[in-house]
Amino acid sequence: MLLQIKNLKVGYRNIEVVRGVELNIDKGECVGLIGESGCGKTTVGLSVTKLIPERIGMTSGEILFEDKNILKLNPEELRNIRGKKISYVFQEPFSSLNPVFTVYEQIREMLEKKNNIYIQIAEILKSVGLEKIIGRKNVYPHELSGGMQQRAMIGMAIASKPSLVILDEPTTALDVTIQRQILDLITGLKNKMNLSILFISHDLRIVFSIADKIGIMYAGKIVEYGTKEKIISSPSHPYTIGLIDSIPSFEHRKQLFNVIGGKAPLFSELPKGCKFYPRCRFRIKECLKKEPELKDISADHFSRCILTSEIAARRLPKQNRSI
Amino acid sequence: MKLLKIDSLHKTFKKHKVSAVDGASFSIFKGEVLGLVGESGCGKTTLAKLILRLIDADKGSIFYKDKDLLKISHSDMRKTRKSLQIIFQDPYASLDPRMRIGEVIEEVYDIHKNVTGREKKNKAIELLETVGLGEVYLQRLSSELSGGERQRVGIARALATDPEFIICDEPVSSLDISIQAQILNLLIDLQKRKNLTYLFISHDLGVIGSICDRVMVMQSGKFVESGSCETIFRNPKHEYTKTLLKSALLS
Ligand SMILES: Nc1ncnc2c1ncn2[C@@H]1O[C@H](COP(=O)(O)OP(=O)(O)OP(=O)(O)O)[C@@H](O)[C@H]1O
Ligand SMILES: Nc1ncnc2c1ncn2[C@@H]1O[C@H](COP(=O)(O)OP(=O)(O)OP(=O)(O)O)[C@@H](O)[C@H]1O
Ligand SMILES: [Mg+2]
Ligand SMILES: [Mg+2]
Repeated sequence: MLLQIKNLKVGYRNIEVVRGVELNIDKGECVGLIGESGCGKTTVGLSVTKLIPERIGMTSGEILFEDKNILKLNPEELRNIRGKKISYVFQEPFSSLNPVFTVYEQIREMLEKKNNIYIQIAEILKSVGLEKIIGRKNVYPHELSGGMQQRAMIGMAIASKPSLVILDEPTTALDVTIQRQILDLITGLKNKMNLSILFISHDLRIVFSIADKIGIMYAGKIVEYGTKEKIISSPSHPYTIGLIDSIPSFEHRKQLFNVIGGKAPLFSELPKGCKFYPRCRFRIKECLKKEPELKDISADHFSRCILTSEIAARRLPKQNRSI
Repeated sequence: MKLLKIDSLHKTFKKHKVSAVDGASFSIFKGEVLGLVGESGCGKTTLAKLILRLIDADKGSIFYKDKDLLKISHSDMRKTRKSLQIIFQDPYASLDPRMRIGEVIEEVYDIHKNVTGREKKNKAIELLETVGLGEVYLQRLSSELSGGERQRVGIARALATDPEFIICDEPVSSLDISIQAQILNLLIDLQKRKNLTYLFISHDLGVIGSICDRVMVMQSGKFVESGSCETIFRNPKHEYTKTLLKSALLS
């Protein structure tokens, strides 16, 4: 196992927002992490390379990368991992590109081997669809469009030939054609270089097209985890079912979907028992007793719900869904 | 009535000789929702910034309610900006990380002198609720939010001035389907109730199809196609539009 996240907890201002996350990533595997805005996805991602300073967030648990606990490493040791063995594509590209260095300088900095630099950079730019700036060595990040910045970040992330890359919403600003190109690029690297990927996204369709395994996060915990096939064919947590049933099919594009309804609870006022209870279509009194454990449903498939088996039968009828 | 009329607008970034907007002409009617699509880097955000005069155009004209925005004084432009708002593509770059969310939104009301502190606060809370955030967020710094939460603060701030015309630059790109639906429904509802006008930039054809009346397709700084969503989606003429639709169907 390349990366093991064990009982990860992170609190901001004494409020826990990641409440015991477990996640493993094997060599050459892509794990998708999905969930709604504010559920804690970025916080998990940042913790993997210990990017949350102690004055901002309290972190506990273990992050084992190549059998070393990242949370225990000193700054020197971290420098040897960040941007080298593990690279990161941040959610808001402009805030993480350095404004005073050119894009060329920033990619060069990340290159693993420092020979034939310009050829290497040109290849990277081409692979992320930035042919336009090949040879333009004096382009600064603010001179790129939103989507171009996002692609420049991806270019930097792959330049160091890392063994793990964390991609936080890497294609939000890109249209389907470039999105496809980026996803193909990442899948290619995964197959060719045995790259491992943590792919954070709010969009199930994208995660379905790239991930091998998927973790669904709700209010700071994983509520369902399984291989992509299992999640698509037999989603078991009511939240996952709501997410999948909300995917609009192209024919239904005129309708706006909000199958789940309601809104996520505040971390400062989490309900007792199952955290999804207030929004759940399948709830029973029993659910209020205590927060369910993550239970095996079948091989490689887990759900944090006490109802699992009865739910599937009560889903939206198939003709009203796109998957 | 034409609310905005743009004629042969040009903008070249001199250093790299990039013609980001290359002779754009179009009009938006009052109460219309006009979609703008086009590949990454084709000039959409530049066009938005030109309209708000956040960057200077090289030539052309931008008439907003019979005033040429390129010719009016800075103080007139400041007044116009109250009714002409933008939701930025990159919320991180457009929010001051040291400001509390309450301040970010209440600041907008400072222009109106006779609003009390209490009223400002209540309005800010109401706005935050409409974008799915609540009162507890008033005290947060914008650096203490998740990406999607920051995007929603940007939306709340744009709505605060009670604008007539809003340029929405990828306003829901980092939001999940249920919050996306909530925000789009909010925008549609406001548009109907107050007869607002939107220029709506998005790479997501599903979103464009569900809220726009008309759509324009941009490529390398030029408009290559425009028409009603129905026509363009059914019968795209331009190559880029065709590819975009084809991949949207496949995904
Ligand atoms: N520095 C901080 N201080 C206090 N609270 C924070 C801080 N950073 C994030 N939060 C809160 O922690 C929660 C989780 O944030 P996180 O950024 O991990 O969410 P996310 O799942 O990535 O959401 P999104 O999809 O919107 O990016 C949110 O409720 C957010 O408001
Ligand atoms: N300040 C600037 N200086 C120089 N070039 C710039 C500047 N801002 C934008 N550009 C260039 O202008 C072109 C258009 O950029 P713009 O941001 O308008 O694209 P966009 O259509 O919004 O793309 P995206 O969908 O990726 O956000 C790009 O080639 C970009 O590199
Ligand atoms: Mg995030
Ligand atoms: Mg843009």
